[in-house]
This record gives sequence, structure tokens and C-alpha cells, in this order.
Amino acid sequence: MKKQIILTLVIALMSVFQGLAQEWLVPDDQKTLTNPSEYNLSNVKKGKDLYMKNCKSCHGDPGKHNGLPLVPAPPDVVSEKMQNNTDGELHYKITKGRGGMPQFEITISDDDRWRLINFIRNFDPSREQLLVDAPPKKAKLLASVNEVEKKVEIFAEVEDANGSFVTLTDAAVKISAKKAFGNLPIGEVLTNADGRAEYKIPETLIGDENGMVNIVVQLDEAYITDNVVLDAAKVGQLKPQPKLIKKEILWSTNENIQTWLLLSYLGAVGAAWAAIAYVVFQIFKIWRLGKE
Amino acid sequence: MDKVKSPEESRKLLDKITFDLTRSIVKRDEFTNFWYFLLIIFALVGLWGWGIQIRDGLGVTGMRDYVSWGMYIANFVFFVAVSLIGFLISSALHLLKIKWSKVISRVAEQVAIAAVALAGIIIVTDMGRPDRFLNVFLHGRFASPIIWDVTVVTTYLTISVLLYYLPLIPDLALLRDKGTDDIPQWKRNIYRILALGWKGHAEQYKLIAHAMRILMILIIPVGLSIHTVTSWLFAATLRSGWDTTIFGPYFVAGAFVAGVAAVIIVMFLYRTRYGLKDYFEDYHFNMMGKLFVLVCLVYLYFNINEFLVPGYKMKTAESIHLSNLFTGKYSTMFWATQFFGLLLPITLMVNKYFRKPVPITIISVFVLIASWFKRYIIVIPTLEHPFLPVQNVPENFQHYAPTSIEIMITVFSFMAALLIITVLAKMFPVITIWEYAEEKGISREIISEPKK
Ligand code: HEC
Repeated sequence: MKKQIILTLVIALMSVFQGLAQEWLVPDDQKTLTNPSEYNLSNVKKGKDLYMKNCKSCHGDPGKHNGLPLVPAPPDVVSEKMQNNTDGELHYKITKGRGGMPQFEITISDDDRWRLINFIRNFDPSREQLLVDAPPKKAKLLASVNEVEKKVEIFAEVEDANGSFVTLTDAAVKISAKKAFGNLPIGEVLTNADGRAEYKIPETLIGDENGMVNIVVQLDEAYITDNVVLDAAKVGQLKPQPKLIKKEILWSTNENIQTWLLLSYLGAVGAAWAAIAYVVFQIFKIWRLGKE
Repeated sequence: MDKVKSPEESRKLLDKITFDLTRSIVKRDEFTNFWYFLLIIFALVGLWGWGIQIRDGLGVTGMRDYVSWGMYIANFVFFVAVSLIGFLISSALHLLKIKWSKVISRVAEQVAIAAVALAGIIIVTDMGRPDRFLNVFLHGRFASPIIWDVTVVTTYLTISVLLYYLPLIPDLALLRDKGTDDIPQWKRNIYRILALGWKGHAEQYKLIAHAMRILMILIIPVGLSIHTVTSWLFAATLRSGWDTTIFGPYFVAGAFVAGVAAVIIVMFLYRTRYGLKDYFEDYHFNMMGKLFVLVCLVYLYFNINEFLVPGYKMKTAESIHLSNLFTGKYSTMFWATQFFGLLLPITLMVNKYFRKPVPITIISVFVLIASWFKRYIIVIPTLEHPFLPVQNVPENFQHYAPTSIEIMITVFSFMAALLIITVLAKMFPVITIWEYAEEKGISREIISEPKK
């Protein structure tokens, strides 16, 4: 009974805090701050880069509502919840953070934090949208691995207005290694004027037991292509084999069984069954005596 | 040994002994049929349950990811425990030259054979894919206590069968030669074959004595191993409640308690059903009672060690387990097993009156049931606490309750064990005739002389 009362109290308290959680109070003097950095394309673009680096991992892609499932959830930048903040409120929240939202007071300069706000405002319906993402274009991506020189050679083409494919220049190509739990990003290159790029695979990349790596080559989201997967390229280092279970241990498999254990087991079993066999032989002798 | 009697007296006495001890073989009345009917029906119901389990898989049991050993394993441990009595009575007491136990050794071997055979079968019922049973032998891991257990169970079964068979040979010859016509012909045919042409030569007796001696010595390490290794199945893990160093002797001591109880019950049934009052005398029950108290005291000592010491320390995980036993979900079962399985038999049986056949049998029934539940308590509560930080686990992973299929198969195992004992009692004398006759001063020549 007592337990239940305590439990109810705890739940009640928690919902109070939960209620507080909705309200993120910002001091009045902070609320009314205005954004010193101008709302222009250059600032919005810089803000976007900052956002991609620092915020996207939790807040997700603008408009896609694909943020991390945290409680409370990191709101999408296009959401009303985000946009209803004044510039001053946004600035305060980004600077100080709360709970799952880290503070960026130290890691991002004040100027850049204001630029981030410019980027957020790019999605404010009451403002002109400066940075518009073009609809993704169709592209072709070819890639191969040069195992001797340990590099990935890439060639990309994009569909132009007439529907024919032309070389794709200055496009970012992402290279990653396929691992058991997803792709490990290992680098990025830009295509040159011929639509070509070369990526030198780092020496430190670790492959499987035979040094094999499955390499994934992809363009960013502005293009529609299939990712190129280069299976079993021998470009990595050999995966270190832990010796942990390779040596003789008491509970090991038969290949690594401890000799003394095997001998004791076989010795005991052998001795017991030899004795049994001997007894059976006595029975046989009894039978032979009976025939005489 | 009584003083040597005249040949005439001897022959008459031997006839009487043979007559009494073959009563179990000859007797076949309505009750016998009913008893067989009962056993076979229940065994069949159990086999039917097993069929369902093989068809649908182990999901029909209450076992889930955490409690992956349930009633089957508890039952297995119980049967291994009961089987250990063969080692105690027909070997250890024999080698100590204790006379009174001789009459009982065949009963003990019957119980041992039935119990260890069923222990093996129960393990197969616990398998999801019994058709892969042979893989245990083909691909077993020598470093695994499970392989040790399989090895030692088969070895013990073989030795028990031999220990049962060897002293039976002269009896079989005796029945072949002197058996009355009441014994069905087919049984006598079997005796003729199994008697191996026994003629009662001194040489043959010597061979039997020699072979018996080897077996009795051999069964000591094997018998101790069978239950010690069974305990290692548990003790070789890090789980609270199992992670203790005294599990080996603790199991062996507990096994003697269960086994003595089982043997007393069977003795009593033979005594009343086959009119063997002069063979399983009050004296034997009295002595068994004393042995019973002794093994109970040893087991009590181990129980105190097993629970008092960790209870004193109450290590984090251990304390969850222990309070679950002492005051929690399993407290009723726990205290009931301690009371009926240990305290009650000890306090009652130090008194001579309670060592009389009827009271001691009733006590044995309680002890045997308590021993079964004791095994349940050893296996299940520990598994219900995996002590891992687990989340989002279905409710039914965390608790275990046997399903009706499991109960059916467990009932099958009891019935099958009783069936084995019954068939052995119906086929062969329940007391070694020739040893008993010799004890009464009848010479070997007379025992092995053919019927006139
Ligand atoms: C570790 C994950 C994480 C990262 C990285 C992160 N946020 Fe957040 N953010 C959150 C969470 C969680 C909340 C909700 C906090 C709350 O309401 O208590 C939040 C809330 C916010 C809010 C307040 C929204 C409101 O409720 O009014 C703003 C503004 C914001 N984040 C901006 C950013 C910006 C800009 C960046 C990048 C510099 C960023 N966040 C990086 C997790 C993150």
C-alpha cells in the first residue's frame, strides 16, 4: 500500500516536471535580442553548413521530421515549435542548451550561432526563402578499385535539361566502408572537370581476416543514383585476430582443449570401461565353464 | 551365518525360501493387471504429450529464454539423485562388511536402474531436437560438464545393470532347475538363457565374487561422479544460488536422502504385497531408519552451510535469490522441503517407534516428495533472475510455470520408472535367493543340485 502511494507521488511529480519541460523559460533580456547578422544567402549558406555538422544528427533534415527519438524530442527546424521562438530565444537555447540539447556556448562562436538562426529562419513561412534546394537530378556513378595503388576511381555523369548525360563536375562523392552495423564514412572527394575523381584509401583502414573491404561510393542527396558497392576489395589491413579463445583454456572447444583435461577425461572413461569390459569377460568365462 | 544344517533340513528350508521369493513372479491376480493397466495408461498419456512436444517444439513448455531449464531438469536431477542409492547400499555398505544391507541390495539396484535409465530419457525429452541426440557423442565438447554427465550416466547405468545381473545368475539357475510349474514357461526360457549354463562350480562362484568386487569398487568413483558432475552442471556457472563450491557433496548427500526414502517405500510394498515379512524384517526397517537419520543429518549439515554462509554475507545478487527463497515467492516451497525433507524425518526417526515399517514408509513418502520439490527449488528460482540489465522483455520470459505438457511428460517418467521396477520384480526374485540361503546355513551343493 505504502509502495503504491509513493509510486503515485513519483508519477505525479514526474508529470509536473514533464509539464515544465514543455515550457523552456528564457530570461526577458535575452528574449528580445535581435540578430546582428544579416539575413542573406551567404549567411544562410554558412548556417546550413554549421547545421549539417552540428545539429542534423539530432534534429534531422529540415522538413523531414526525422530527428532522433529523444524525450523531449528535438523539434524539426521547420516546425512551429521552432519557428515560434524569437531570435533571442533561439540564441539563448542554442547557447545554453537543456537536457538532451547540448550547449554550444563554447563550441560555436557567437557569430556562427546567429548564422545558424539565419538558417533556421530560412524555413520561416513569413520570410522569403533564400536557400532553395533544387529537385534532385538523375545521375550515373561508376567506380572501381585499384587494389595495387589502393585507390577508388570514380566517374560521374548527370542528366541535363535535354535528358542526355553529361559529365558531373564539382560534385561531392562520399566513400564509406560497409561494416556489420552500417556504413563507416571514410572520406569525400570532389569530381574534377572531367567528372572524374580519385580517392586514396587510408592505410589505417581495417578489413576482414583477409584484409577485404566492401567499399560503398555514393553521391549526396541532390542526385538520384544507385550507390556503387565494390565488394571484397583487398585494400584494408588484416583484421586483428584476438588470441583470447585461441589458446588452451579450461572451457574451450575441442580444438583448444587443455591437454590435462582431455587426458583425465579419456583416462577416467577408458579405465571405467576397461573395468566393465573385464567384468563382461568374467561373465563370458562363467558361461564357458557352464558348457564344460 | 547360522550353523550348518543337515541336508534334509536344508532342502526343506531352501524350498520354503524359494517358494516365498518366487511369489512375486508367480502371483498374478486382478490387482497385478490393474496396476499394469494404470502404469501403461499414464505412461501412454505422457508419451502422447511428448509427441505433441516433438511436433510443435519446446514452445509448448513453460521454458523461455531465461528459464531454459525447467521441470525436466529438476526431474532429471531428482532421478539421478534417487539412483545413487544403488551405490550406497550394494557397494559402500557391502565393502564395509555391513550384513543387514545384503537383503536390500537387489531392491536398491532395481531402484538405481529404473532411476538412472529414466534420468537419461528425461534429458532426451528436454531436447528440442531429440533426433540429434547422437550428436552429443559425435560432436561433444570434452571440456563441457554436459558431456561428462552424459558419459557418467551411461557408465553408471551399465555398472548398475551388471551389479544387478551378476548376483542374479545363480538365482536364475536355481529357478531354472527348481522352479515350480507355476512359473510361466516363457519366463523359464528366459532364465535358462540368462543363467549362462550355471552349474554352481566353485570356479564359477569365484568368478562371480571376483567380478562383483571389481564392480563394487568401480561404482564408488563412478557413483560419486554421477551426482557430482550433475551438480557441476549448475556449479560451473556464475549464477547466484549455483555458484558455490559445496554443490558436489551437497548433491551427493541429498541424493542419499532421496534414495533411502525410495528404497524403503519399495521394500515396504514388496513386504506387504508379496508376503515377505520374514525377509524384509522389522529389523531391516529399523536399520534403514538409522541410516536414514544419518544421511539426513549429513544433508542438514550441508544445507546449513549452503544457506547460512551466503545468508550471512547477503551479497547483492545472492541476497535477491536468498530472500526469494526465505521470504519471497518460493518461501512456502522452500520451508516445506526443509521441514518435510529434513527436520521432520530426523526428529521423528531418532525415536525407535517411527522406525517401524508403517511409520517409516509414510515418512519416506513425505521425504521423497520433498526431495523432488527441493530439486525444483535448486533449478528454477536461480534462472528467474538472470541478473542482466534487461529491457523490454516479454513478461513470460521472466517467470516460469510448467505447462500441462511438461507435467504429462514428468508423470510419464514416474510411471515408466515404476514400470521398470514392476517388470523387474515380476521377472526376477526381489531378494538374492542363494545369498540368503547361504546366510541361513544351506550349503552350495544343495543350492545347485538339480530338482529330483
Ligand atoms: C544531442 C542531440 C542534439 C544536438 C546535437 C542538437 N540538439 Fe537542439 N535539441 C535537442 C533536444 C533533445 C531538444 C529539446 C530539448 C528540450 O525541449 O528540453 C533540442 C531543442 C532545441 C531547440 C529549442 C526548440 C524549442 O523547443 O524551442 C533549438 C532552438 C535547438 N535545439 C537548436 C539546435 C541547434 C541550432 C543545434 C546545432 C548547433 C542543435 N540544436 C543540436 C537535441 C539536440
